[in-house]
Amino acid sequence: MKLQSLRIEQLRQFRNPFVLNNLQPGLNLIHGPNESGKSTLVRAIRAAFFERYRSTAVDDLRPWGDSAAAPAVTLEFEHQGEAWRLTKSFLQRKRCDLIVGTQSFSEDDAEEKLAELLGYQYPKRGASKSEHWGIPGLLWVEQGTGQDLEQSVEHAGDHLKSALNSLVGEVASSGGDEVIEAVRAQRHQLLTATGKPRGEYAQLDKDRLEAEQVIAELKERILRYQEQVDRLGKLTREYERTEAERPWEDAQRQLEETRVRYQQVQQLEQAQAQEKATFDQLQQSRRLLEQNKEHQENLSRQLAARKVELDKAQTEVQRLELQAPAQAERIREAKASYEKADQQVKQARLIEARTRLAQDVQRLELRFQQLTQNLAKARDYQQQLEQARQQARDNRIDAAAVQRLKIAERQLDEETIRSSAIATRLSWNLEPACSVALNGDVLQGQGEQQLLEESSVEIPGVGTLGITPGGESLASTRRKLDALQQSVAELRGTLGVDSVVAAEAKLSAFEKAGRAQQHAEELLRSVAPAGIDPLEIEQREAESELENAKIKLSATPEPDAAAQGLELAEAEAALDRAAAALTTAEAQDQKHRTAMMSAQQAQDTAQAEWQRLADEEQSPERQQQLKQIADEMLGIAQKAKSLEDSIERRSREILEARPDLLKQDIERYQSTINNLRQTHEARGRELRDIKVRLEAWGAEGLDEQLNEQEAELERCNRRYLELHRRAQALDLLLKLLTEKRQALTRRLQAPLQKHLDHYLSVLFPQATLEVDEQLRPGAFTRGNELGQVTELSFGAREQMGLISRLAYADLLREAGRPTLIILDDTLVHSDQERLDDMKRILFDAATRHQILLFTCHPEKWQDLGVPPVDIQALK
Amino acid sequence: MPRFLHTADWQMGRSYSRFDIEDGAALVEARFAGIEKLAQLANEHQCDAVLVAGDVFDAQTVSDRTIRRVFNATKGFSGPWVMLPGNHDAALAESVWTRALRLGAVPDNVHLALQPGVVALESQGLAILCAPLTQRHTYGDLTEPFSHYETPNGLLRIGLAHGSVQGLLSDDIDATNPIAPDRAEVSRLDYLALGDWHGTKQVNERTWYAGTHEAERFRNNDAGNALIVEIAAPGAVPSVTRVPTGKYQWHQWRETLTVESDLAELLKRLEALPDASVVDLRLDGAITLAGEDRLLDALSVAEARFRSIQCDRSNLQLEPTEDDIAALHADGYVGEVIAELRQQQELQSEEARDALAILAGLLKEREQEAGQ
Repeated sequence: MKLQSLRIEQLRQFRNPFVLNNLQPGLNLIHGPNESGKSTLVRAIRAAFFERYRSTAVDDLRPWGDSAAAPAVTLEFEHQGEAWRLTKSFLQRKRCDLIVGTQSFSEDDAEEKLAELLGYQYPKRGASKSEHWGIPGLLWVEQGTGQDLEQSVEHAGDHLKSALNSLVGEVASSGGDEVIEAVRAQRHQLLTATGKPRGEYAQLDKDRLEAEQVIAELKERILRYQEQVDRLGKLTREYERTEAERPWEDAQRQLEETRVRYQQVQQLEQAQAQEKATFDQLQQSRRLLEQNKEHQENLSRQLAARKVELDKAQTEVQRLELQAPAQAERIREAKASYEKADQQVKQARLIEARTRLAQDVQRLELRFQQLTQNLAKARDYQQQLEQARQQARDNRIDAAAVQRLKIAERQLDEETIRSSAIATRLSWNLEPACSVALNGDVLQGQGEQQLLEESSVEIPGVGTLGITPGGESLASTRRKLDALQQSVAELRGTLGVDSVVAAEAKLSAFEKAGRAQQHAEELLRSVAPAGIDPLEIEQREAESELENAKIKLSATPEPDAAAQGLELAEAEAALDRAAAALTTAEAQDQKHRTAMMSAQQAQDTAQAEWQRLADEEQSPERQQQLKQIADEMLGIAQKAKSLEDSIERRSREILEARPDLLKQDIERYQSTINNLRQTHEARGRELRDIKVRLEAWGAEGLDEQLNEQEAELERCNRRYLELHRRAQALDLLLKLLTEKRQALTRRLQAPLQKHLDHYLSVLFPQATLEVDEQLRPGAFTRGNELGQVTELSFGAREQMGLISRLAYADLLREAGRPTLIILDDTLVHSDQERLDDMKRILFDAATRHQILLFTCHPEKWQDLGVPPVDIQALK
Repeated sequence: MPRFLHTADWQMGRSYSRFDIEDGAALVEARFAGIEKLAQLANEHQCDAVLVAGDVFDAQTVSDRTIRRVFNATKGFSGPWVMLPGNHDAALAESVWTRALRLGAVPDNVHLALQPGVVALESQGLAILCAPLTQRHTYGDLTEPFSHYETPNGLLRIGLAHGSVQGLLSDDIDATNPIAPDRAEVSRLDYLALGDWHGTKQVNERTWYAGTHEAERFRNNDAGNALIVEIAAPGAVPSVTRVPTGKYQWHQWRETLTVESDLAELLKRLEALPDASVVDLRLDGAITLAGEDRLLDALSVAEARFRSIQCDRSNLQLEPTEDDIAALHADGYVGEVIAELRQQQELQSEEARDALAILAGLLKEREQEAGQ
């Protein structure tokens, strides 16, 4: 199908006729800005085909405000070698004319012809909607719906398939889908989508279970009913038998008999008890008599005992009396020992006192001598000290001055020597008896003198010679020597000595006296540290003390020379022992005397007692009593004997009758009677209970109910099985129909897939896009990506939508169906790269189909290889 | 010349599970009507008494209403009725009989033989030696004491018992409640009226099973009768007349359809049956779609006419002919499905058969719609 021209008039903004001709068999790019009428052209084409010419729902075609308008569209196209011309006008002039080759169609016929050609439907009433658009809905893409493929494919469904049927040479089954729907609906009444029973079918299953439960309950109740009936039969028989036999009467009889026997035994037991009491009384009397007799006999025994006691007391007194002298002796001895020991202690003390006094005298004498000696020594030392002091006083000399003197003299010596060296030596050897005077000094014999000063020698007879020593320092030496000589002389004068030697001797003596003084002082201190006077006082005191001690000693009596000298401690210990012995002896003596007294007392008492008893024993009343007792006892013994025999006899009798067993028998019979009666009564009660119960249960007609329930169950079962079979059959049928239909669809999918792959390889070289049963693009894979087309981005979905539509177009073309493709501003969401790919695809598709591409972005499509048609320019 | 009516096994209180509620109720009603019919027959044949040989009731605990209705139904005959407890209604300590007595439902002319012994109907010239079941099951012959029962001279000795005559019926039917086959002879009975076997059956010249008065199973042999027994004098051979009492005839047919004429034959036989019929059909073999249409039509007619008709076609294969399929206009994959189902059907698949029937039905509907 190739659209050749489009003419519109009085349609929206095209109030005046507008013609779009020279449409190419391949790609046509029609552009114009917004509001230029681009969309109106698309709407006009759609209206020409889809809207019924007589439709009243096409007001949108009317130019704004022009109620008298008759919007008209004229289309010219070629299909399978024939020229088609469609003229359709709406609203004010409702007409439709179609010329196909030489044939003319008008009104509804024309419209049906068109619908059949393109594969779409008209709405029953109102405006045409997408669900009516069929194949054109798939191939004519409205602005912004390029990605919504699914619905379009669905609406195209049957047209697409019938178109494809011819292609694959199959019959898709006329109305097969209807049958499937009918089967599905019928199955749906019985089964859920997952194959579970529903509705009546499910309810029947429940009803069956319920009925089974009710039946089980009824059966259970019937069983109980029957058990009760059986129980009733058994009880009735037993009750009647018991009622006839009356077994408790036997027991009653036996009970009576046993009671009589038991009473007899009880009487025996009473008699027995009485005799036993009598016997006990006799025994009691005998015991009293025996006591009496014993009492009497006791008297003699007591008398003897008293005698023994008396003897014993006497013996004791004698024994104690015998002990008395020894006891006294012992006391005396102890006392003597004590006194002796006491004496010895006194003696020992005396000796000790004297010894101590003698020692004091001795010590004091020693001390006195010591002090006297010390005193003598002290005085001696005192004298030495005085002498030393005197010595020191005599030789007192300044040690420093002595030193200075020694130095001065040595200097003098040294100066003298020096002066001699430089002095003018004058030696002389004179004839005996000749003499000369030197400076007035007579010189004789031989000699020599050094001259330091101008000297003159007078030679008697001769005159005087003057000598003047030469040398430069002779004068200073002379002066120094003079000064030294002066100093030495002064020092010697001060010290009172004439020479150094004397001075040193004096110093030595001084120092010696000092040492002697120190020594004497120390010696004195050693004997009289406090001085001589205190020492003298001490000595006098020692002397007086000594005197005192001597007086005391002489005043102390001399110890007895004969007495043996015991140590004081020893003597004292002996005294302690003696005192203890004495105390013991005294205590024993005391004890003895006490014993003696009590023995005496006891003897007196025993004597008195014995006397009393002896008197009593001998009394005549007692003899009388003894005889009487003996007689009475004899009588009692005889009576007791006869009673014992009687008791023994009766006791055997009672034992043989077994009263304990008789008593048990009575209880046994009693309880037997009770039990028998109770059992019988209980049975009677149970009988009545069961009868009442059975009457009630019987009235319910359980068996009949069961019968009815079982019938109900069987009906349920029957109906259930019918439905079950039907469900199974429907399930099978639906399964088979679906399978076969799918198999067919799969055969139809193959060619579509082929075309789809063709375009897809351009857009996504490595991708696959599978066609599903509804002939829709479904699973999409690209590398590791796997998903549905619907999950892709908007742009990609739009691209996928377009290539799918192109693939359908290819398929339809192969089936000999018209394939006009109209794209209204499509692929606006594609990037440049994809758009380029899509252009290649469109160009390729345009070699097979006529494509009208409307856009308001001509610049995007300028490399499409076709001249663009500008709507504005055509106006 | 004493004459009495012998009947048994009324099984009152039984309901029919295999039928629809309405049909079951009608069949139950027929059993009550049957008792009235017996009373009417007793009058018509001038019977002296009616003897019911056990199983008057189907169970011990039937409803009070059932009990009352049973005794009400006997009202038509005012002569003596002797009813014997059987295994279904044994005379236990508490039983349907004690309940009936307690309800005051038992008319004076109805004698309940709840104890073994003799019921002497002096004025009728009959001494009825009764062997009621007093337990649910017995394994001894309850009729044995008949030999010791003395009866007044001049009265007929008629035994009334319920159980299985030894060696007569197959062993598996009822091993309990045995009855010696020569009981009549041994115990010097003029006639032994038996119950338990639901079909009318003669054991010997003096011993009969009356059978139930109204059939209630397909497998009954000769059910729905009563016996009119006439005995000239003690020792005389009884004259026994069988009179029909049943309202409905029960038929159970097993048919195999192979050729077209088989179906025609079957439909003819169905048409021949009286209206008061209860029919159970079980078909196997194969049938064409057209044949099945005819069959369904006929069944529809029969349903309206008969008390009940049930037809099991699960083993009857559908074998559409080429014409059938052409008529259905089953093309494309639907045609493939039909072929597949036909194939599966041969493998004994009920589902496939049903599925085919459903599909054929749907296609036919579609054709009819299209035709309109």
